[in-house]
Order: sequence, then C-alpha cells, then structure tokens
Amino acid sequence: MLSSFLITTLIGASLAGVACSLIGVFVVRMKLSSVGFCMSHAAFAGSALGLVLSINPLALALVFSSVVALIIGPIAEKSKLHPDVILGVLFSLMLSLGLIFLKFSPGTALSSTAMGILWGSILGINTREIILLGIITLVILISMKLFSKEFRSIMFDRKMAEASGINTKPFYYLILLLTSAVVSLSLKLIGGLLIFALIINPASTAYEFFYDIRKIIIFSPLLGVGYCFLGIIISFLFDFPIGSSIGVVSAICFGISVILSPKRRKG
Amino acid sequence: MSNNYIVELEDVDTIYEGERVPAIRDINLEIKIGEFICVIGPNGAGKTTLLETINGILSSTRGKVRVIGQDIKKFGHSLRKEIGYVPQEIAVDELSPFLVEDVIMMGRFGKIGILKSPSLQDFEIMEEIIKWIKIDDLLRRPVGKLSGGQLQKVMIARALVKKPKILLLDEPFSNLDIKASRDISEKICHLHLSSKLTIIMVTHNIGSIPVNSNKVMLMNDGKITGDNLSPKDFQLDQLKFLYQVKG
Repeated sequence: MLSSFLITTLIGASLAGVACSLIGVFVVRMKLSSVGFCMSHAAFAGSALGLVLSINPLALALVFSSVVALIIGPIAEKSKLHPDVILGVLFSLMLSLGLIFLKFSPGTALSSTAMGILWGSILGINTREIILLGIITLVILISMKLFSKEFRSIMFDRKMAEASGINTKPFYYLILLLTSAVVSLSLKLIGGLLIFALIINPASTAYEFFYDIRKIIIFSPLLGVGYCFLGIIISFLFDFPIGSSIGVVSAICFGISVILSPKRRKG
Repeated sequence: MSNNYIVELEDVDTIYEGERVPAIRDINLEIKIGEFICVIGPNGAGKTTLLETINGILSSTRGKVRVIGQDIKKFGHSLRKEIGYVPQEIAVDELSPFLVEDVIMMGRFGKIGILKSPSLQDFEIMEEIIKWIKIDDLLRRPVGKLSGGQLQKVMIARALVKKPKILLLDEPFSNLDIKASRDISEKICHLHLSSKLTIIMVTHNIGSIPVNSNKVMLMNDGKITGDNLSPKDFQLDQLKFLYQVKG
C-alpha cells in the first residue's frame, strides 16, 4: 500500500517537474514570468469556483488559466497598456476571486481541499490526474520537437523571427496555452501560490550554466524532477507543505547557481 | 505597375502606435530587380521605418506596399522568406543561450518551412556564407559575448543565408572598423553584381555609400526629398540642408 502510494507520488512529482520546468525554458527566456504568475492564480480561482459549484476543480482551473492566456496574448500584443499593468490587474482580480470563492466553499473536507489548492498536496493526486499530467508532458515534448526551429527563433528574438519569414503568432499562443495547461494540471501538487517556483526556478538555474539552448532544454527538466523529489523528502521529514518545500529548495539552488555560474565568472 | 519592379510603394504612410505624426509619409517608390539603392538622411528621417515598412514588420497605415508583385500586408510571411534584413541594432543580452552558428541558421528557418529540419544543403549554404564573411572563428561563440562589429557581421550572414532576392541593410557598417567596413562593402557590391541581388541600404554616413550603387535617395522628416541621384551629384548645399548645417 505504502509502496503504491510512494510510486504514485513520485510519478506525479516527476511529471510535474518535467512539464513545469520545460515550459519554464520558454517562460524565462521570453520574460513571461508574470504571465505564468497570473495564470497560476487564475487556475487557483478556477479550482476554488469548482469547489463552490461542485464542478471538477481541475476542469475549471484549466478553463480559467486558458482564458487568461487568451486574454493576455492579444492585449499584450495590441493594447497600448503595458503588459505588466494588465497582468497586475488580472493577477489581483484572480487572487481576489479565488479567495472569495474559497470563503463560500462548504464543509471542512472541502476546506482542506481548498487549502490543498493554495499550498499543494501530493496526497490528493490520483491516477486520472497523473495520466493528464503525462499527456500534457508528452504534448510539450512533441511540440518542442516538431516546432524546435520556430520556438528557438522566437526565443532568440521575436522580431527577427518574423523577419526571417516565421509567423510567430501561433507559436506564441501555443506557448501561452501550454503554460496554462501545465499550471492547471500541476496545481494540486505544488499549489496555486507557488507553482511558478517550479516553472521559473529550474529553468533559471539551467540558464545560469549553458550557452546552448539545447542543453538548457535537457538540464531544466532534470533539475525540475530533482527539486520535486528533494521537496517531497523535506516535506515528509519535517511535515512542511510540499509546494513550500519545493519553492525553498529550488530558490536556494538558484541562488547557489548564480554564485557558481560560469557565465558570471570573469577571466 | 510593371513586373520589372521588385519593390513598389504607392502613397505610403506609416504611423507608430500612440503617435499622431507619420514616421514616413507620402512615399512613392519603385525599385527595379537588381537595383542597388542607398537611402541617406539624418537621424529620425524615417529610414529604418521605410525598410521595416517594405518588409512588412511595420504595417503601413496608408497606401500600398508591393514586394515581388504581392501585397506585403497579405503575404508578409511568405515574402519575408525572400527578404534578407540586417537591422541597425539588435538587443542581445550577455547571457543569451544561443551560439553564433544557431543564430545564423535561424535566418533560413522561414525558408526551410514548418515541420522540417535543416538539410545538408542548408548547412552547406551556411558554411559558404560563413567563409565568405570570414567569421569561421566565431561559430561556437555565445552570441551575447560578441562585440558590436562581430554581431553586425553575424546578422549580415544571417540575412544572406536565406539567399534572398532583396537585401535590406540598416546602417550595416555602423559598428565596423574601417577595414571591416571596406571589406563587407566590397562583398556586398560583389554580391550585387554577381547575383543581381536587389539591395536597399540605409546610412547616415555619406562616406559609406558603395561606388556601384545605382542611385541615392535622400530622406528627411519622413519624406523622400531627393531621388535618382548618384553620389557624385551631391551638392554641398543639398547636404547642408539635409543635415541642417549652418554656414
């Protein structure tokens, strides 16, 4: 029984680690951190509403974060408002909605589920969610393989990618939608407040060590899985929330990587 | 309009978002296949806007822009596969995770097409361009670690690797030393003569106008103020007026 629970936990953590840190390679390079931050809170609001309405929280998390992705994309591209302003407004709106929905979520059992959404709870992850995480991880890997040229070109410079004849818009939106899906599906593991730590930190650490984007794409998910495992161990040992443990571990590792980074060494 | 023209602009204005005054206005321009045009003018004259309106990165707000006989607004992506563009400056951060060879090959990605990987032929073309520009030694260097001049050469290689029909150069010598400027300038001239490449080069430095350019165009305050000139036709008064030099 224990071993089956442990296997489920580790598989869930591995998949979330790979998916989040792979998408993080785009999010960090394209300076979409605040977008990921906003999406995670949209997913949190969606889950909370799901609890209130007794609708699958995961489905509503996916809907909310995808809607935010589809709102942010065109607004950031066409509006004269600075994207940070739009994100700030959407972020505070989503967090406020999430907290309002939580207030109305009935019963103590649901309250604990609601807290799970905020802080993350690997204990609640089930086979169906693992399958969904597996599917999104596979979709990201296939997309990265199929559109490797286009993604790399956009990550270098979107305007120059356009100048070389690539229609960057569909790929930009694909990145946003994949980010929203990853955020929603990993929400239960690490929690709405800290999920962007698993998106940003492994990729940022990988960027500190390599000048070749291909190596970063390989190294970032390895770090993501490592942080998840380490976070789970610390969580079990000290009874910390899993999301917080992963957040602390990944942040410390990023700090160390900045100190050790060969990119920042002189001479 | 004749099929002879590879670039045609008809009463074109381009206004930047949030601006009221067009950055370029009332532009009428016809460039024949294989012509080498130099556009000169002071800072803020609209030279870069003109280039980016021609390749469709900036959308014109009035008039028509046709490249290779097609509307750039409708067919921008496919047309840009045939247009090489060297921007005046590109912001590359020091920690950028791309090697020079990757950045050069990216110039060909549009032409290679979606769902395809660069073929052996693509790599051969890249190698040929790299040797020609003489940047073999830079290939495995991180692009963020290059000097301004080295980066400019890389961007020229990136524009040429797609074997374009039109080459747009925005101040291509601004970061190069005298020797490198002369070398690249000679190569561009050779390319123009040998392959009938259509070239539009923007510069504010009259001294950098290549000798075999077919005509020189003056721009000031968003308008074309002089056309069909050859470098020797410049009058001192014209230049003084253009650059607002007194005395």
